[in-house]
Amino acid sequence: MSSQPVLEIRGLDKSFGPVQVLHHVDLTAHAGEVTALVGDNGAGKSTLVKCIGGTYTADAGEYVFDGRPVHITSPRDAADLGIEIVYQDLALCDNLDIVQNMFLGREKRSGLVLDEATMEEMAAKTLDGLSVRTVKSIRQLVSSLSGGQRQTVAIAKAVLWNSKVVILDEPTAALGVAQTAQVLELVRRLADNGLAVILISHNLNDVFAVSDRISALYLGRMAAQVKTSDVTHAQVVELITSGRSGELGLQNVNGVTA
Amino acid sequence: MMRAGPSQEEIRRHNLGVLLRHVHLGGPTSRAELTTRMGLNRSTIMALTADLTAAGLVREELPRETGRAGRPSLVVRPESSRVYVLAFDIGVDRLVAARVGLGGVILDRYEAARPRGVFVLPDVVGRLAGFTTRMLRATGPDSVCVGAGVAFSGGVRSSDGFVRFSPNLGVAGVPLREELERALGLGVPVAVGNDANLGALAEQARGVGVDCRDLIYLHGDVGVGGGVITGGQLLGGHGGYGGEVGHMVVNEGGRPCGCGSQGCLEAEVGERALLEAAGRFGTRIGRDAVRAVVDAADRGDIVAQDALARVGDWLGLGVANLVNIFNPEIVIFGGMLREIYLGAAAQVRSRVATDALRACRENLRLRTPLLGDDTTLVGAAELAFAQVLADPLDALARVGA
Repeated sequence: MSSQPVLEIRGLDKSFGPVQVLHHVDLTAHAGEVTALVGDNGAGKSTLVKCIGGTYTADAGEYVFDGRPVHITSPRDAADLGIEIVYQDLALCDNLDIVQNMFLGREKRSGLVLDEATMEEMAAKTLDGLSVRTVKSIRQLVSSLSGGQRQTVAIAKAVLWNSKVVILDEPTAALGVAQTAQVLELVRRLADNGLAVILISHNLNDVFAVSDRISALYLGRMAAQVKTSDVTHAQVVELITSGRSGELGLQNVNGVTA
Repeated sequence: MMRAGPSQEEIRRHNLGVLLRHVHLGGPTSRAELTTRMGLNRSTIMALTADLTAAGLVREELPRETGRAGRPSLVVRPESSRVYVLAFDIGVDRLVAARVGLGGVILDRYEAARPRGVFVLPDVVGRLAGFTTRMLRATGPDSVCVGAGVAFSGGVRSSDGFVRFSPNLGVAGVPLREELERALGLGVPVAVGNDANLGALAEQARGVGVDCRDLIYLHGDVGVGGGVITGGQLLGGHGGYGGEVGHMVVNEGGRPCGCGSQGCLEAEVGERALLEAAGRFGTRIGRDAVRAVVDAADRGDIVAQDALARVGDWLGLGVANLVNIFNPEIVIFGGMLREIYLGAAAQVRSRVATDALRACRENLRLRTPLLGDDTTLVGAAELAFAQVLADPLDALARVGA
């Protein structure tokens, strides 16, 4: 457990026209840890992630990466820092195989032609490093894969680029139990391999299964950032639904700011 | 009489074992890296690898590419396809036999479902011997079997591999090691261990607990077994029956347990407890039935959700007790407990958060096995390899290779 976070967001504000969606939000992510980002629908999870990933530009706030203040104005900036986001739709192409998908838009070349051998080797090594045993051939078309396998490919694609922070948006939604278990184990392994993982999930059981820290958003405010080992299920439910739980959370929920 | 210290020969044998262990667990390793890791000088490493190469345990190769200037250091690889052990896993619902090469490669495996009911030792031993015959038929002429290991779901006497108890297999007092050695007829030593103990060793050697000195592995079969490693050593107890955490009483006057007691951890979180609480006892059994409950809970079945939450709560209580007593770095949920943990993690961790001492739990990691359903089988293989790693040349000599 490293003391200095890889990613640190401080005091982030974001408005869309007259509607302020995020109020002075703080968020940290540490290498080797899974940070779960939880919150009700409309709490601001997706907006926060899109600010981190450069899709939206924050109105105010500090963005510190590896101890250095940075400015993110586009998804390319975030990718250059080593931040990858796996959205719910996965953004995979059904008509391409696993290797082609993993390198889509960032293909390796040797001279004028694609360097298939290197790409194949890198893809295999990445999947192997994640102990993925569910995929039979890396030359399989993505259309032939199950939901869990697709999720696996999307995650492997995100870690292929020596990324440091991987953000997963509801990776287990719409998966059956067996595949959920595999994806949860994969999420855990990413962090155990040294990445900082941010997991967005509505399923508190999944959150408790793999996370080290829980960050709970409530109506656009960060209600609490706690260690998972210090809280109970009931407390997290309270943080999500009312922004506070006993000593934890926003102490003046109906007021202007905490 | 006091001895002055180990002789040159003893040191050499010890070093051979240590080097072989590095290659066995770490895979192909360059001589340069072995020199650093073992803290020995280059000529000693060269002499040791030469001995192991001559014995046919390892081979040396030029690395494919190093990306660095200078003459590349030779890479030492285990002779996985030549030197192997037999590994067996005797669980309540399945029998597995595998041929595992040095370096931990599963070369061949057979698996059969075991019907529940009376445990007849000659039948089980006969099945495993049958699998072995088929596996041996496929081996090359220069391959050599250096041992056999068995993971057994029950209490095994460490001195002679005699099964003392196994409430879930419904057997007690059978000479498993003796019978299996006779049935195999290979003249190799057979070692028998408790499946959860071996699972703990396997996950520590090759799984999610590598480099952990304080580890607890909980294995759910029908009941719950435990393997406890503290300070790097497996807790065996006086007779080898230590670590039976499944029979820790967590609920006085609770559900009856197969061991004769009441309210044991396994009585409250075992397969039967889950299925009964979910109102599904009797129709389906085994892993599939457990998965079906977790699946139903996930789909919103309230009865299944309650059953899982209740079992998760008891499991959390058991883990909290273990955490307070052993202060482990990692607790691993294997077998059917993998499904239960992943399906009821919120309850398990809430319990640990409230019932375990903060200092004991603050750096605790809860994990599922990296080796998946092969954890206990891999443990059996490692048990068999342990004798080879202790003294490689002697072990080869004993099996006449």
